[in-house]
Amino acid sequence: MITTVIGNYPKIPDMPAPGKWRSAVEKFQKGQLTEAELHQVEDEVTLEAIQDQVDAGVDLITDGHIRWDDGQTYFARRLRGLSINGLQRYFDTNIYFREPVAEGEIAWVEPISVRDFEFARQHSPRPVKPVVTGPFTLAKLGRNTHYPSGREFVLALARALNAELRALQAAGAEIIQVDEPALCQHKQEYPVFAEAMAALVDGVRAKKVLCTYFGDVGGVYPQLLQLPFDVIGLDFVAGYRNWDVIARAPFTKTLMAGFLDARNTRLETVDEIKGAVRRITSIVPPDRLMIAPSAGLEFLPHGVAKKKLERLVEGTRAASQTLKGVRA
Amino acid sequence: MSLPLLPTTAVGSYPKPASLIEARRKFARKHLSKDELTELERRATREWIQIQEDAGMDLLVDGEQYRGDMVAYFADEMEGFAIAGLVRSYGNRYYPKPVVVGPVGRRHPVTVEWFKYAQSLTSRPVKGMLTGPYTIAEWSFNEHYPTRRELVLELARAIHQEVMDLQHAGAKYIQIDEPAIHTRPEEDFALAVEAMDIVTDGVSAYTVSHICYGDVPKIYPAMLKLAVNQLDLALKNEEFALLETFKKAPFTKDIGLGVVDAHSHRVESVEEIADGIRRTLQVIPAKQIFISPDCGLKTRMTEETVGKLRNMVEATKLVRNELTGTREHGNAATRVR
Repeated sequence: MITTVIGNYPKIPDMPAPGKWRSAVEKFQKGQLTEAELHQVEDEVTLEAIQDQVDAGVDLITDGHIRWDDGQTYFARRLRGLSINGLQRYFDTNIYFREPVAEGEIAWVEPISVRDFEFARQHSPRPVKPVVTGPFTLAKLGRNTHYPSGREFVLALARALNAELRALQAAGAEIIQVDEPALCQHKQEYPVFAEAMAALVDGVRAKKVLCTYFGDVGGVYPQLLQLPFDVIGLDFVAGYRNWDVIARAPFTKTLMAGFLDARNTRLETVDEIKGAVRRITSIVPPDRLMIAPSAGLEFLPHGVAKKKLERLVEGTRAASQTLKGVRA
Repeated sequence: MSLPLLPTTAVGSYPKPASLIEARRKFARKHLSKDELTELERRATREWIQIQEDAGMDLLVDGEQYRGDMVAYFADEMEGFAIAGLVRSYGNRYYPKPVVVGPVGRRHPVTVEWFKYAQSLTSRPVKGMLTGPYTIAEWSFNEHYPTRRELVLELARAIHQEVMDLQHAGAKYIQIDEPAIHTRPEEDFALAVEAMDIVTDGVSAYTVSHICYGDVPKIYPAMLKLAVNQLDLALKNEEFALLETFKKAPFTKDIGLGVVDAHSHRVESVEEIADGIRRTLQVIPAKQIFISPDCGLKTRMTEETVGKLRNMVEATKLVRNELTGTREHGNAATRVR
C-alpha cells in the first residue's frame, strides 16, 4: 500500500506573500521578464512542490503541474488542429479554464510534457508520475468545429495523445496517469470512451493509471475493469457512492483510492483515514492499493494542501501498522 | 417609476478605477484609513451612476466598488466565516476563499447603506444586489456544518433578512445571484430552490437571480422553479445558443438577457447587439425581456465597459423603435386595407 497524489499543487504560498510565481507572471505580462526567466521561476516553484511531497513522505509524486495553465490548455496548445478559446467554468465550479476548439485535423507534432517530466525526475528522490489529460475529458471540455461527430473528435485526440504517452515512455516513465474526470458526467457515452482508451494506450507498455474524479463510476462498473489499464483511480469524496459501486463486483486491478477531500480545507483525522483504509482493504488487498486525495490539491490554500499531504501519509502509515498487527 | 419596454440594466460589478485599486492595496497594508477608502469607493460609485445615466440605462446598479469578490464580501461582513487563503481562479488571478468555521448569520445589514447611498444619487431605480445562499456555501470551504444542506438553509435565512432590510430601505428591485446553482444539479438543485423560497418569502419587491456560464441546458426548465420574477442569463458568450434550449419549454419568467460578452475586450456593435435581441424576440415575448450584459463587467477596462453599455442601450432603443414602429405599420396596413 503506497501513497500518491492526483496531480496539481498550489503555485503560491499563503497570504500575505504574493509568491514568486505570481509576481513573475505579472512581470512577464508587463514585459518586465523574459519567457526564459518565467520558466526559471516555474522550475523553482516545481522544486518546492516536489520538496513538499517528499517532506510529507508521499511515495509516488508528480511535478505539481506548476506549468499547467489548466489541464486542457497545457496539452491542447501544443497539438496541431486545436485553437484556444475563451474562459469556461471547470465542471461548473468557480475555477476557470480556456476552451480548446478543434478547427482542423488534430495531430501530435512534438513532445508536450516530456521535458517537465524529465526535469521532475532528475530532481526528485522519489518516483515521478507524469499525468496526461485524457482525450474524452479534453473533448467534453472542448468544442468541435471540424469533425463530423463527437466520436471522431475524441478518437482523433486519443490517437494524438497516444504519441505523447509513447514519448513519455521513451523518456523512461514507468507509470503514466490519464485523467478522465468527464467520464463521471457522461457515462452514457461509455462505448466511445472505451474505444478512445484503447486507441490512447495502444503500444504503451508502461504501467497505466486511469484516474476518475468529481463523481462515481456507477453504471460503468465493472466494465471499467476491462479497459487496458493497471490502476483505476476512484474518488470516494464527491463520488462517495463508489463504496457501493465497487462492492458489486470483485475489484481485479490496483485501486488508487481518493480518500482526502481535495476541495475542502477541513483536515481529515488519522482515525478517519484509518477507517477508510480498513474498509477498503476488505474489498481490495493492501498490495493492490494506492491511497490519495480525491483530486489535485491546487485549489486549496498552500498550507492546507501541505497538511493534507502529511495527513495522507500519517493516516496511511497508521492504517498499515494496524493491518500488520491484525495479520501478526 | 415605470420602466420602458425592454428595460436596460446590468448584472452588478463594474471595473474599479486605478486609484481605488491602489487605495484598496494601501488599506490592506493599513496605510490608509477605512474612512479614506470609503470616500474613494463613494466617488467611484458616483462616477458609475453618472456613466449609467449618461448611457441612458433604465435600471441601475451600484457597481460594487466596495466589494472585492461576490462571496468574500458577504463572508467578511457576516458571522461564522474566516478567510482560508488565496485560491486560484484562473491564470494568476486568485481570490480569498472563505471558510465556514462556526454558525453563520448576520451581525448587521450588509448592503443596505450602499444601496441607500447609490439610490440617493439618482432618480432611476437602483437594484439591491446580493449573493445567494447556495453560491456562498458552494464557493466557501466548510469546516463547521456536517452537511451542505444545513449550511445553505442557515445562509438562506440570513440573506432573507437582508432582502427584507433592502426592501424596507426602498429597494423595488432586488437581485440574488446564484451562479453556482448548476454545480451539482442532480444532488442539490432542489436544495437551491428550497433556499430561494426562504430568501424571497413574503417579499413584494421585484426579484432577479443571475445565473451565469456553466451548463444551463442541464437545469432547464427546472430553473424556472426558482422563486424570483426574473432569471438573468448570459446569452452572448455562446452566441445565443441558449435560445434553442428555451424553445423546448416556454420561458415562463422574465429574462435578463445577456447581450454583450463580459469576458471579451471587443465592444460589440449596435447592430450585432440588436440582432441578438431580435433573435430572442422570436422565442420570448418582448414584455418579458430586460437587456443586460452577460455578467458583471469588473474584469473589463473602463472604456470597454462604457462602450458595451452605450451600444447595449443604443441597440435596445433601435429594437424598441422597430417594435413600436411595426405596430404602427400594422395599423396603417389595416387601415389601407
